[in-house]
Amino acid sequence: MISASAPASAADSGVVEAYGHRPLLFLAGFALFWLVISGFFALVAGIQLHAPAFAAGCSVMTHGRVVALAETAFVYGWLGGIGLALTLWILARLGGEPLRAANWIVAGAAFWNLGVALGLVGIAAGEATAIPLLELPLPVQPLMLVAYGAMAVAGVLAWTGRRRDVMFASHWYAVAALFLFPWLFSIAQVMLLWFPVRGTLQALVAGWYGQGLWTLWLAPLALTAAYYVVPKASGKVLPSYDFASLGFWVLLFVGAWTGGRHLIGGPVPAWIATIAIVAAATLLFHYAIVWVNLRHAHGAGVPLKFLGFGLSAYVLGGVLDALTAIRGVAEVTQFTYFSEAQHQLAFYGAISMMLVGAFYYALPRLTGRPWAWAGLVRAHLILTGIGVVALVIGLGGAGLVQGTDLNNPAVSFAEIAAHTEGWLLLATAANVILLLGNVLFLINFFKSALCPFYAAAVKSYRGEAALEAAR
Amino acid sequence: MKNGAILFLGLFAALGASWAGIVVGSSTQFGALAPYYDQVADQSYPNGLAGEAARGQLVYRDLNCASCHTQQVRRAGFGADQARGWGERQSVARDYIYQPFVQLGDSRVGPDLANYAARKPAAPDAAAVYRLLYAGQGGMPAYAFLFEERKIVGQVSAQALPAGAGVTARPGYEILPTPRAQALVAYLLSLTSPYDYPEAKAAPAPTAEAKK
Repeated sequence: MISASAPASAADSGVVEAYGHRPLLFLAGFALFWLVISGFFALVAGIQLHAPAFAAGCSVMTHGRVVALAETAFVYGWLGGIGLALTLWILARLGGEPLRAANWIVAGAAFWNLGVALGLVGIAAGEATAIPLLELPLPVQPLMLVAYGAMAVAGVLAWTGRRRDVMFASHWYAVAALFLFPWLFSIAQVMLLWFPVRGTLQALVAGWYGQGLWTLWLAPLALTAAYYVVPKASGKVLPSYDFASLGFWVLLFVGAWTGGRHLIGGPVPAWIATIAIVAAATLLFHYAIVWVNLRHAHGAGVPLKFLGFGLSAYVLGGVLDALTAIRGVAEVTQFTYFSEAQHQLAFYGAISMMLVGAFYYALPRLTGRPWAWAGLVRAHLILTGIGVVALVIGLGGAGLVQGTDLNNPAVSFAEIAAHTEGWLLLATAANVILLLGNVLFLINFFKSALCPFYAAAVKSYRGEAALEAAR
Repeated sequence: MKNGAILFLGLFAALGASWAGIVVGSSTQFGALAPYYDQVADQSYPNGLAGEAARGQLVYRDLNCASCHTQQVRRAGFGADQARGWGERQSVARDYIYQPFVQLGDSRVGPDLANYAARKPAAPDAAAVYRLLYAGQGGMPAYAFLFEERKIVGQVSAQALPAGAGVTARPGYEILPTPRAQALVAYLLSLTSPYDYPEAKAAPAPTAEAKK
């Protein structure tokens, strides 16, 4: 085991960023753009839940397609893009060498984002696969795979060419994310789209992929960032770091087995659900270890505020997953808005918030100047904080009402809609707040990272501590 | 952890284990599930989707109907699926073996559709489904883009939607389902659970006498 103190010295980082920052900004900028786009579609989809006639006149804005658009832009456009940009940056910093193969990142990022754009057009036109978390139209998927591989080259080179032999926790998670996504993605493509398996095996493979996407790709991306930024930004050593490797291997070996919890009571063998229940409970070890390791995330400063929020959401989501995997609870929450609330808590509250926090930490170090508007940073923090809490509470409340009502055959669907309307309005308000916050985030990013006029004004490299806005 | 090779092999093992366990394991268990042959009726179940219904499933898929409708009836005593008239038995894996794109779904904003065409108390007919798709009802939005309004030339077409209950065409015009709507309705009306497979019924509970 190695010490948990900051692995890359400050002297290294200047060299790293001098070469690597433009490709990473390119990748991150597109990711932010997709975040706003997905927020727009999420808002439309949310409104349609309590006002079904909203924008239903044209096929492009059918609820099913809008849901797929929002999810695809969020997961592949936003989370994938920003997560990869941060992971590559962290791998370069930990390696203590300038980022190599930067051209590969640019080419990969260009085609990755082209893939997302084409995918969204395809979904809007009716080419979606109708498989949750794998909605991208079939022809786009090989493109995405190759583009991801091109970007990952830089990460693998930074990992294998690291200056010191030891590996930090961020290394493990980063390498896991780099290697496991292409495997998962290609297996799912082959088994679901090129040569589809038979019958309800499709649902099983889709469930395995969806859970794997989260536990083997998105969570490692977020934890790469959290394990790197939390000790740096808090200035404290990670507590109980010796347990971090146990937390890592528990996530990797157990995580994907929880996919079957969505199929409880479904037309698949019962052991699928049983093993998922056991796995969801076992995974609590992982959440406990992450909570202990990263508890200094609950500190001062904007990056830590986001990371602390994300960490709390991450652990709460894990506990909720374990609870709702129990059959008696699933009987009520299955197929309801409550699942959607858990989904938002995991993807938005946990992964996205942690990545945003790390990005607030990373951008000043990539560009060599602070965030342009400290006020917008604070506004973004407040708006997303409120937005995520309101979204999860709104959907969760709606889900509990809906689940109880569905199990009472005397309650009609019209009555269920009336009972859940208030909660769903809260969720829609949350979507408005989130969209607003993310627009501010995008504006601030453009001003901070891309405005050349501003760039000319600040030439010298200021000390790291002075770089964070709104500290 | 210092050794990159061990990390890499560990990652491979982690992914491989869950894949082998969940995907390969269940594939060997029921990946080759055969249709059930009823000797008395001299007929095997389930049957594949007829041509028009198979095209309709593509429409169902491209509109992502599964974002609001499931197609899986849970067993009696686990939820109120059967009490709601969605089916008289739970859905089993054998029901889906001939479906090209299984649409189990994971959300019940709308009702379950696994047994839509044989739903209790009243099964819908084609006219009702067309009307529902055209005009919507409650939480179900109107999918008017699946229909076209056409000027009546000569006689009113036999396929035109009858007026009333949300269907109103301009004078001299009629509302006709597009081929997509026809395929979708054919698919929806093909959704039944036609046969009680042995595995679909719960084992009879032991009586008090038998327990002794």
